[in-house]
Amino acid sequence: MKFADFVNTKAIRADLTATEKEGVVREMVQSLLDAGGIKKDEFESIVKAILKREELGSTGIGRGVAVPHTKHPSVDQLAGTVAVSHSGVDFESLDGEKVYLFFLLISPPDRPGDHLRALENISRQLRDDTFCRFLKQSKTAEEIKLLLDEADNNQFGS
Amino acid sequence: MCRFTATRTVTVANPDGLHLRAATMIADLVRRHRAEVKVVKGSDRVNATDVLQVISLATFAGEELLLEATGENAEAVLDMLAELFANQFCND
Repeated sequence: MKFADFVNTKAIRADLTATEKEGVVREMVQSLLDAGGIKKDEFESIVKAILKREELGSTGIGRGVAVPHTKHPSVDQLAGTVAVSHSGVDFESLDGEKVYLFFLLISPPDRPGDHLRALENISRQLRDDTFCRFLKQSKTAEEIKLLLDEADNNQFGS
Repeated sequence: MCRFTATRTVTVANPDGLHLRAATMIADLVRRHRAEVKVVKGSDRVNATDVLQVISLATFAGEELLLEATGENAEAVLDMLAELFANQFCND
């Protein structure tokens, strides 16, 4: 699976303003709503589901990366977005470090395979330090989109 | 110093596969016991404490992984890890 298969490019944010976990989740889900990726009346339900998942253990997996996610019946295909925080956010990560890169995923409950494939793609690309560094330095959504396209074309990672 | 190495083949039983929370539970357990564990799938061999690398293996329900532990408590850590897999990471 490629980034193009699950990242809603209109929902990419290069300049997250939130400084704590719930704010980040709200800002990213709002960006998906603004991009038409989710329904308006499902906004609160999706935010709550993602935060509930965070209560089971942070999705801040180290190296400045977090993957907040949930299954949700309101989507019929994987809906995702990417955001960068330049100041970093305390996301209660496993390594205790701030998070700068966020990949938010909302999956249809009956498609766990798609979720695993998206995680595989994200994690494989992030193993490349150059990709990570460029992503963190991105100043615009367009720059992020270009980086994701380059990653999809095997210009990074393993 | 004597170094013990032990291996164990485990099967991912939970229907959602080896997801992020499962990978986090593995990393937590290995860290807590200060063990050195590698997770092997085919030609990929990754550190069990590195969640990013473990999820990059994209392991689906029914697939097998080889766990390689090193250290004095290698067998004990593998027992605990095998239990996590058997319990489907606390019922998925």
